[in-house]
Amino acid sequence: MNPGSPRPLSDFSVEIEVYSGPYEWLLALILHQEIDVFEVPLRDLVSLYLRERISEGERALERDAEFAGSAAALVLLKSNSLFPALEEPAGDAGEEVSAEDLAQRLSTYLRVKRGAEYLRGRFERGWGYHPTGHALEPRRGMLRIDRRRLEVSARRVFSRLEEPSLAHIDRITLSLRDLVSLIRDALLKGGGPLSYEELVRDMDRVGRALAFAAAVSLASEGEVRLLQEEPFGPLRVMPA
Amino acid sequence: MESPDPAVLVEAVLLVSGRPIGERALLSATGLDRDELEQALSRLAGKYDVQNSGIVLRQVAGGWQLATNPRCAGAVERFRGEARPAPLSGAAYEVLSCVLYLGPMTRGAISSVRGVNSDAVVRHLIERNLLAEVGTDGESPGAPALLDVTEDFLIATSAEGRGDFTPLEELVSEEELARVRERLTDRAPGKE
Repeated sequence: MNPGSPRPLSDFSVEIEVYSGPYEWLLALILHQEIDVFEVPLRDLVSLYLRERISEGERALERDAEFAGSAAALVLLKSNSLFPALEEPAGDAGEEVSAEDLAQRLSTYLRVKRGAEYLRGRFERGWGYHPTGHALEPRRGMLRIDRRRLEVSARRVFSRLEEPSLAHIDRITLSLRDLVSLIRDALLKGGGPLSYEELVRDMDRVGRALAFAAAVSLASEGEVRLLQEEPFGPLRVMPA
Repeated sequence: MESPDPAVLVEAVLLVSGRPIGERALLSATGLDRDELEQALSRLAGKYDVQNSGIVLRQVAGGWQLATNPRCAGAVERFRGEARPAPLSGAAYEVLSCVLYLGPMTRGAISSVRGVNSDAVVRHLIERNLLAEVGTDGESPGAPALLDVTEDFLIATSAEGRGDFTPLEELVSEEELARVRERLTDRAPGKE
């Protein structure tokens, strides 16, 4: 801008609710906190400027740039005001730092700086080493498989699919077919209802469970009937 | 077939590794005992002497490494068609010095010691794998990341470990520090 030439926005006046007058004075009042930036509708200012904007002339671009700059500053000022006031961190500008503290900080920095010079030398001395070009990793298809480690890894991976241990269950020596035959023979021999308790008296828990399964199987095929007069009462097997 | 000499075994294993190999890994790979390994390394150090060999045995970053002799660096670099990495800036060396001597520390702490924001420098050093985030500072708000020097840093500085650097206290003489204190306290308000 030439000295003596009018300022680009000197002829721009605004009229808003809290102020009426030259735009530059409004900026000054906001900066001196005579007017709260929150009371100034920035959108209205932009609309006012666009309405009176001079799009031609040798100073048009300068005027636009000046307004854009001042409007951006107002946006920044307003957005900064939205943040809560932060406490100055200890030791930052504004706080009185004692000479002793400052000396302590400078001493630390001086040491760090000397450390930096020392490291520069170490880096320079260490630059000439080139390690072997061989890769540490086994070549493709050449990985040696350690069977024991593979088994451990596989067990870990599939551990959720492991069958539960059956060590606590006795070895099953009866088959369902044998028990079906046993029931049929007992019914033929007795000719009448057969007590389930009598049938399984000499059997272990697994045998009893299988005998019950055999009886249910025969009942489902219509060969026998199962009678139980009350819940948990004695169970009887009868010919159909 | 006769079992190879321990030094031969160690030499073969070191040859195929681009990274330094720790003692435990060497023992495991070669099946040697500790004494045999020490003797083997000692023999190899003699064999790969800086004056008489194009390959040298280095003890860096907590392990052992075979590398080319730095005196041959020019030829090696010409052959490989590679340029030396761009030297680090003064700010980068300061950040590394902070972390090495005062760390592990947060980005904020580094900036505080240096008196300027060091985030961009830290980012650059992380990209070059000279610094790494190794945890968080749980006592600070937001639990910022703690930075420490890496194995690559130790390799680049030919250091066996953190203890291989001259202590910070020895880098600046007490007289020099006293002069700094003296100048500052003389200029303090009320002293003039």
